[in-house]
Amino acid sequence: MTTTASPSVRPRRRAHKATRRGQTKFIISFLALPVALYIWLVVMPFVQTFQLSFTDWSGASPTFNYIGIDNYVDMWDDDSGMIIPGFIHTALMLVIVPIVVIGLAMFFAFMLNVGGRAKHGRIAGVSGSKIYKVIYFFPQVMSLAIVAIIWREAYNPASVGGLVASLLKALGLPYPENGFIYTAPLTSVMIVLIWSVVGFYLVYFSAAMASIPTELYEAALIDGASRVKTFFKITFPLLWDSVQTAWVYLGIMALDGFVLVFTMTPEQGGPNHASEVVGGVIYKYAWGDQSNAGMASAIGVVLFLFMMIMTLLFLRLTRRERIEF
Amino acid sequence: MTRKNDSSELSRRRVLQGTALGAAAIPAAGLLGACATSGTGGDTNDVKNSGDAKNPFKVDGSKALEVVVFNGGFGTDYADTKSGHLSLYKKKFPKASVKLEPKKDIASSQKPRFTDGTPPDVMDDSGAKKIALDALIKDGQLAELTPLLDAPSYDDPKVKVKDTLAAGTLKPGTFTDPKDNKAKVYALPYFVEAWSIWYDSHLFKQKGWDVPATWEDMLKLCKDIKKDGIAPWTYAGKYPYYLWDLLFTLASREGGRKVSEDIDNLEPKAWSNDSIVKAAEALYELKKKGYILEGTPGIDHIESQTKWNHGEAAFLPCGSWVKHEQGKKAPKDFVYATTGVFPFEGSKLPKLAWSSGGEPFIVPEQAKNKEGAYEYLRIMLSKKGSAILAESAQSPSILKPEYQTIKDSAAKAVTKLNTGADNVYRPQIADWYVDFKNNVEPVLGELLAGKTKPKDFLKKAQDESDKIAKNDKIKKFKQSY
Repeated sequence: MTTTASPSVRPRRRAHKATRRGQTKFIISFLALPVALYIWLVVMPFVQTFQLSFTDWSGASPTFNYIGIDNYVDMWDDDSGMIIPGFIHTALMLVIVPIVVIGLAMFFAFMLNVGGRAKHGRIAGVSGSKIYKVIYFFPQVMSLAIVAIIWREAYNPASVGGLVASLLKALGLPYPENGFIYTAPLTSVMIVLIWSVVGFYLVYFSAAMASIPTELYEAALIDGASRVKTFFKITFPLLWDSVQTAWVYLGIMALDGFVLVFTMTPEQGGPNHASEVVGGVIYKYAWGDQSNAGMASAIGVVLFLFMMIMTLLFLRLTRRERIEF
Repeated sequence: MTRKNDSSELSRRRVLQGTALGAAAIPAAGLLGACATSGTGGDTNDVKNSGDAKNPFKVDGSKALEVVVFNGGFGTDYADTKSGHLSLYKKKFPKASVKLEPKKDIASSQKPRFTDGTPPDVMDDSGAKKIALDALIKDGQLAELTPLLDAPSYDDPKVKVKDTLAAGTLKPGTFTDPKDNKAKVYALPYFVEAWSIWYDSHLFKQKGWDVPATWEDMLKLCKDIKKDGIAPWTYAGKYPYYLWDLLFTLASREGGRKVSEDIDNLEPKAWSNDSIVKAAEALYELKKKGYILEGTPGIDHIESQTKWNHGEAAFLPCGSWVKHEQGKKAPKDFVYATTGVFPFEGSKLPKLAWSSGGEPFIVPEQAKNKEGAYEYLRIMLSKKGSAILAESAQSPSILKPEYQTIKDSAAKAVTKLNTGADNVYRPQIADWYVDFKNNVEPVLGELLAGKTKPKDFLKKAQDESDKIAKNDKIKKFKQSY
């Protein structure tokens, strides 16, 4: 559709090209240095990661040998017992965290913006929605490291004053004797991750919902649509683009979840590899007792390919017609 | 409509690129940026011992000396330039500029320096983020310390340095030279590191409990302790390596050091030895009988030690640093006391103790001032150096008791655990084989938590041991007593 330009505009285009050439030089002269720096400091290490994945580099020596695809073969034997659990847990986090966060954030955003009973025919959120917004957003202003430490303490066994377990104990409810982290480490970490970001996506979806014309809701209201129906027939389809973007960002964030795993769990991925994630496994190979930066690079490369395929698949599967309004 | 489609294509591609870069940033972050593969190995020289008592390594007194010390439970005051070991060095070589660098994370701060060929002169490779010694040795990054050990000792020129050290203490610093397959000392473990059972002797006196002589006596005492509303045992549940001493010493006291030696040497039936089976079952029983403080598997070392300090538990398996680590957390009348793991009745070696050296000090092969580094280590091993350590870190050094003066009662008790060369040992399987540590240690934790049965734990240990024995890519170590 875009290639059908009419002949009459061609001369103008050529004139454009001439000035553009001058512009290009000008732009290149400005961009040369930052691009060179970018290539040297960002692109080169990526390329080097691929190169190093075929070596036995320990990470501490100036020398290394090329060992072909040994690292990739050894990965499936998984002698350290953490690579395969790492990939499984990361995949779980990549699926569960975005679904739950988007679901919760959308529900809250809907309730806070259009979920209330209509007053004098106007669409509004539930009462007190402004206060709720602040409360939900609050975890977002804290650094992830602090969030992790606070929750690690809250998850402690009741015998050392863990907040959650002590509360359950005081109420006479069943509580995990050895604390939440020991009993269900991956779930505990995911709950914290979800808790810490839901507020941000609540605000994000609120902003997206604000751009949906209120007439649509009013029309639905007049037609007698329930809140649930309004959500699924109007809000959700019109927010589809925002959901896609949110999903991609949440995926990246779930990959960063190793900050929480490292701070909160014993053995930084334990107990007994029950909360190992790929980011942490790479770190352990590169910097930990494994002293095998070659393997760390190989896992990095696999993660990179895995993410590429996941993203491609995701974007293909979620492609929809855009609706204009 | 057309324009909309275009921009949607554009944003899709951009998002895709963004994600791809985001994913690639993770592997890259673990590496060293653009110059990861550009370092070169420099020329190195070997230090020789001339036998001269004053300056055996021919130190050039004008050269600078840089010392990196792990800043952990023991602090770094003992090494500093004010009153620590570096002040002694400065006194001897006034022209040298000396520098102490306390570090909490050795691996990420020092590994790049090894790669670049600009490591410090002396380094204390300790802490949770240490650099694996055998990996450094494999890469030819460490100088071996024979010249130091053969040099005349600082205080008495007639005695060699190695003859002033207590039995078994150099074991954790001894590795095979990859070039000629001979065992050599590459690291000087400077602190006495012993694992044992700690208790509050004030509490024991107050309650009228006797310190049990055997495991069976201990079980009997546990009944009384429980009646008093105190949990008999607690430990650092989040770090199950605190439990190896209980298991290995219980087994090796009963069956001799051979039990642990076979395990270290990855023997095919090492984990079905009667003594190790009995020990694993005994530990499992502790939980089944309810002798372990509630919640212990989910707490860390400080939490368990603090509970113990406040009289909520009677026995604590821990290392020799516990008193210094707890500092002022204990009540005033708390008296730190220690004893070896309670042996089974009829044990072969009832006095065997896990005692050797800890905090390995190393000299990098590419250090700028290697002579100075050797001399610095020799100064650390002087009577004065040891006194500084005892003063500031409340820990004995690896010098024989007659070469150091110890006032602190807890430190004295630690040196008493070592009753001679035949009664000390140091299990090393978990230090040597990182995959073994990663896969078996957590299961040891589960054994004490009652989650894994003894026979499953022993099977897991044997399986992992066999897997390592079969894997030719893993370099093997040899244990012998």
